Amino acid sequence: MLATRDVKLALLPALVVLAVFAAALGSLFRWSFLEFVPGSLQTGGLTLANLRAVLAPQYLATIRDTVVLSALTTLLTLVAAYPVAYALARTPSRRVRSTILVLTLAPFFTGAIVRTYAWILVLGNTVITWPAPMLFTERGVLVGLVHFSMPTMILILAAALSHIDPVYERAATSLGASPARVFWRVTLPLSMPGIVSGGLIVFAWTLSAFPTPELLGGGKVKMIANVVKDLGLDSFNWPGAAAFAMLALALTLALLAAVGRLTAGRAS
Amino acid sequence: MRSRLVVLIVALVTLPLVPLPLVPTARAQNALVVSVWGGNWKDTVDKVIGKAFTAKTGIPVEYEVGGTIDRLSKARVSKGNPLVDLNFTTTHVARLYISDGLYEKLDLAKLPNAKEIAREALRSDYHIGSWAYVYTVVYRPDLVKEDITKWSDLWRPSLKGKIAMPDFDPSHIITIAALMEGGNEVDWQKGEAKLKQLKDSIAAFYSTDAQSQDLMKTGQGPVQVMLSVNAYHLQEQGIAVKVVQPADYPGVVGIDTMAVMAGSKKSDAAHQFINLALSKEVQTELVKALRAGPVNLGATVPATLKGQPGIFASAAEWKQRGYIMNDEARAKNLPAWREWFTANLVKK
Repeated sequence: MLATRDVKLALLPALVVLAVFAAALGSLFRWSFLEFVPGSLQTGGLTLANLRAVLAPQYLATIRDTVVLSALTTLLTLVAAYPVAYALARTPSRRVRSTILVLTLAPFFTGAIVRTYAWILVLGNTVITWPAPMLFTERGVLVGLVHFSMPTMILILAAALSHIDPVYERAATSLGASPARVFWRVTLPLSMPGIVSGGLIVFAWTLSAFPTPELLGGGKVKMIANVVKDLGLDSFNWPGAAAFAMLALALTLALLAAVGRLTAGRAS
Repeated sequence: MRSRLVVLIVALVTLPLVPLPLVPTARAQNALVVSVWGGNWKDTVDKVIGKAFTAKTGIPVEYEVGGTIDRLSKARVSKGNPLVDLNFTTTHVARLYISDGLYEKLDLAKLPNAKEIAREALRSDYHIGSWAYVYTVVYRPDLVKEDITKWSDLWRPSLKGKIAMPDFDPSHIITIAALMEGGNEVDWQKGEAKLKQLKDSIAAFYSTDAQSQDLMKTGQGPVQVMLSVNAYHLQEQGIAVKVVQPADYPGVVGIDTMAVMAGSKKSDAAHQFINLALSKEVQTELVKALRAGPVNLGATVPATLKGQPGIFASAAEWKQRGYIMNDEARAKNLPAWREWFTANLVKK
């Protein structure tokens, strides 16, 4: 057992990082109440105008679209990643396991921008002629986000599945359960901690996705991070960007808390 | 095996989160530090101005490269003790530097070559033009069958779903629509209804020059409101794009500018650099390298570029062949333009 003093020492680096992060957030909070002066970098006095401005329908619609896209991305990523994770965790063949692992990890070494540019070629009508437009639509952005999230989801699910002792499944089988019943009644519930943590991670980072909607959305699909960038870097409205970021942060934390609470019972 | 798999997975998931060490850039003590955009812009400034400056003065030149706003942010946080001595940026963004006291007043006595430049390139007491270009209509004739010769052609129904334009700065199309309806960049609201008619014609919006060129190359945005310099760059790469000299309203001029940072300890050297950049010889080389318009009226323009959009070779051409927005109105209106543009053209 670690002594209390040792625990405090061990936590020190994390506390330093937390303090820096809190200071940055505090600064952002302060900026969100400063008056924006168009055509100038100088700010005016304290005001609530920025918060009122970001409650306009177009900004609220961006938050709604972001939450919907994040939820869909989480769901589709889970469905697509689970079989791969299952194969990775359960295959007896080392060669198959290595192949799956290499294929899963390969995207980590190509970078988000390169992967997204590749999707521009695929989703445009250059390589495949799609029956419905894909590029510069929510559908296209969804495909990009799912692809971006899959490797992480696979790895988290594989870790969870590898912790399930196969004895439970064998016991269910020996008692007459069909493979499908074994999966639904044994494997899936036991892998719930992985599903919840993978789902939360994918949902949280999709809420702050930037390059995928920026490139695959063609400026027509805006998520929260894109609008913060638009306000801050294109309109030079830093107080407005800070206000929208604070609003989005508050909503994100509330959503994650709600999702975490809902799934806590299932995960335990 | 399982625990090893778990450790490996945790390590790989957290690997991208590990930041690279931040190593401060070491600079030569006597070097003049120039802030400029990266890629071809920095390479050209170095090749055409920087090398000649060092050869003439013996002062080495180092560069701080980055996007327009990254560099503005850095300048803000180092106000009074600037990390760079001389800054390149667009003329309306320069207004933000000026409003924040980040620029030093130019000493025109130290810039004798400024006497040779177009009046339009003298932007303020603090910043001066280095080269010019236009935002105009550019298209791929292989993908668009009818000729496009004027701004109003963008409203043709046959161009539905084919047009791309910048969303980071919609000032060009907003100004053109306002001009069409008898207004300008100050009373831009006059063009609102006209602009709304374009909504269905827009295939995509771009945020960077690279995106704009990619949209043109892949054919996803074969008709664009595009920077002339980028269009000429595509032509060099073998992409057959046509750069329109619009018959109804001129292209909207952009001017990139130079300025000395307030608090720079190398103000004299920075002035020498600017003076050299404004010289006929350097301006002639800049035109060739960037395919941008010279600000020095005595610069030689290659025959292939003479009369092309964005290339102004005389005082008369500066007046007739480009529309120059009021910098201050542009800087002040940009946030409102973007908000209106997003709400009315970008959103579904």
